[in-house]
Amino acid sequence: MSADLNVQQQVESQFMCYCGCANLTVRACSCGTADQIRADIARRLAGGESADQVVAAYVAQHGEKIRSAPTKEGFSLLAWTMPFILLFVAGAVLVLLVRRWKLAGLLPLPAGSGSQTAARLATQTGGTATPPSDADRRILARVRREIDESH
Amino acid sequence: MAGFGTLCLFVALAASGWAIIASFNGWRIQSGELVLSAERAVYAVCGLVVLAVASLEYCIFTNRFDLEYVASYSNRDLPTAYKVAALWAGQAGSILFWLLILVAYAAAIVALNRRRNRPLMPLVVLTLAVVSTFFLVLVNFMARPFVQLAFTPADGNGMNPQLQNPFMAIHPPCLYLGYVGLTIPFAFALAALVTGKLNDTWFRSTRRWTIFAWFFLGTGILLGGWWAYVELGWGGYWAWDPVENASLIPWLTCTAFLHSVMIEERKKMLRVWNLTLVILSFLLAILGTFITRSGIISSVHSFTKSEIGPVFAGFLGLATTVSLGLLFYRLPSLKSEHRLDSFVSRESTFLFNNLLLVGAAFAVLWGTIFPILSEAVRGVKITVGAPFFNEVMVPIALGLVTLAGICPVIAWRRGSPRKLLEKIQGPVMAMIGAVAALLIVGIRDVYAIVAFALSALVLATTLMEFWWGARSRQKVTGQRFGAALWSLVDRNKRRYGGFVVHLGFILIIIGITGSTAFRQEAVATLQRGESFSVGRYTMKFEDHANHDTPNYEFAGAKVAIYNDQERVGELIPGHNFYKAGQDPSTEVAIHYTLRDDLYLILTGSDVQTGQYTFKAYLNPLINWIWIGGGILMLGSWFAMLPDLRERKRTVEERLATVEAHVG
Repeated sequence: MSADLNVQQQVESQFMCYCGCANLTVRACSCGTADQIRADIARRLAGGESADQVVAAYVAQHGEKIRSAPTKEGFSLLAWTMPFILLFVAGAVLVLLVRRWKLAGLLPLPAGSGSQTAARLATQTGGTATPPSDADRRILARVRREIDESH
Repeated sequence: MAGFGTLCLFVALAASGWAIIASFNGWRIQSGELVLSAERAVYAVCGLVVLAVASLEYCIFTNRFDLEYVASYSNRDLPTAYKVAALWAGQAGSILFWLLILVAYAAAIVALNRRRNRPLMPLVVLTLAVVSTFFLVLVNFMARPFVQLAFTPADGNGMNPQLQNPFMAIHPPCLYLGYVGLTIPFAFALAALVTGKLNDTWFRSTRRWTIFAWFFLGTGILLGGWWAYVELGWGGYWAWDPVENASLIPWLTCTAFLHSVMIEERKKMLRVWNLTLVILSFLLAILGTFITRSGIISSVHSFTKSEIGPVFAGFLGLATTVSLGLLFYRLPSLKSEHRLDSFVSRESTFLFNNLLLVGAAFAVLWGTIFPILSEAVRGVKITVGAPFFNEVMVPIALGLVTLAGICPVIAWRRGSPRKLLEKIQGPVMAMIGAVAALLIVGIRDVYAIVAFALSALVLATTLMEFWWGARSRQKVTGQRFGAALWSLVDRNKRRYGGFVVHLGFILIIIGITGSTAFRQEAVATLQRGESFSVGRYTMKFEDHANHDTPNYEFAGAKVAIYNDQERVGELIPGHNFYKAGQDPSTEVAIHYTLRDDLYLILTGSDVQTGQYTFKAYLNPLINWIWIGGGILMLGSWFAMLPDLRERKRTVEERLATVEAHVG
């Protein structure tokens, strides 16, 4: 997302400023070094060099590191594609999982799993569910009533 | 005091080591006394580290320039607030500060869990003690804050001028509170994995701590952006610097966790995934600190570099191996039945939201480390800067905005397509209206139109959630609308706090879109009395403006601001020339309005010819980023408050457990 850029600004955006004071493109940086690079780009463009020629000249002089983003070729293409490959693959897996989980949701719950907590609790305590006494039921009913009243 | 501080750190290391031994053996042989001893050691470590920090601050305030740290990061005329902040201006102090926050968290966790979570606590203490010990080793042997110089300089070098800013005084503490806070859920998750007590306890016990850490990490990121905006003088707020990225990555995974944990609470699903996110967030926080402090990827934030990189890498490797190893070991116990009632459900949207959030975290991490990969594979150094991140992150961010718009109108378990269509009609109309309005005012930038349109969708769905909820409550209780709205929000702080967070997020998106897509700039070299324009503003260079302070001399220009012939203010951009001898710092001047900011920089001046060069940016809607950030933080704070419905649900679940147990 960016405002419309002219050729000069497009070239400035393709270079990192090597002033060392900030991790900024030549277009964004406001230091003296960036001013000099901008002036040089303007001079080259005015002198008839194309944007590609200016970029190539700078890369030849300063190395790949001056580019503000990897090129979209060779190994560097991986930088651009990997996040989307991963998202695509993970998205496809997620869609499959959601479909499977939805199918599982259509099946009736296994017998006894309506009370999964009880089963888990029984397993954890190593015991079996004991039948509730009338006193247990009365206490639980009272707790429920008090919760409802308090909220 | 320096000797006392050194002694405190050394004794703290011994106490922390004891906490490891006592907590581990206390857990192993189930000795309450050993566990208690470990917990007391945690308090002792906290007290000792506090004393060490107080010693360092004392040395800074008393200008003890015979200490390397004080001489490097303070000077006599440094203002009081920055003398406090000098604690985290350099590497050794930063690590000490990290440690201070960690041991304070640890002491708080021990104090708050004296009667709760007892089966987990020995292992929680163990994890916290291991992390503390690691940082204590660093401050005792590698990044020592109390190193004596062979001579005593008359004055110190002073703090880096760019750090002498109120935002920078509070941005690191916030970030550290966030980074370090992620240790708490990590410690509980590891304790749950070791003990095999993998029910809801570990995340219920730490949910608020997770939001707390997330809140401070987010606040730190926001303040960092604001600092960059007002201090760095390039008119922007986020440069995709590796250190900025390092803070964003764990924040994204933590955001994913805060969403997906709701599915575990309701459906008992995604237990492995949630544990993974908590572990990942902690590891990424350590990675962030590693990137910040090791200087592995050179950037503006790596003010200091040292030999601690390999040690950090080793700790990161150890933490990764242990935590992921435990997770793998417990996989059989973590199997849970995954069932979804419908594709159209809140659960499904949360799953896709997790996909995008973790995808975004991966994209940022990938871009950040790609230069290292490239150098390792091709032997060629490359840069991955803002153009890459902007291109990759914009589609992902738009996907997230879309989900934030759709998610609230879909019910849990099974959303009815008919109901969904009914509920989404209004927001879709708002979206279409936004597109029409944008086209009418002449906006043609496709990304901007999509971003604004989706923002309208989210704003509408979120506000309608409040409206529908309050109206329903009004019908039930007969209250007035305002009272019903407050009652609704108050009874379910987590849900509506979350919606407030979404509102803040959308305002941030609007601010980013406006300030990126419609930015204007102008450069001019002027003599006194001359003017230049950017957007609706005209700037007239009126006079020179110089002043002197004990800390620096300021040299700048007084510029009058006109909007349609009307004088609306005055800006004084310039440079600070510090007496301690550092490089001058650019002091930008900003005319703030809700519609746009006029951002003025004095880029050069020639005293002989009287010519001053100015650069001006017009940043539309930029203040909505800070406003949105504030709302986002308020919402997350609100979501942390005790919640009546959540308490009721917890009590009911416990009751159901008891009922199930007795039959």
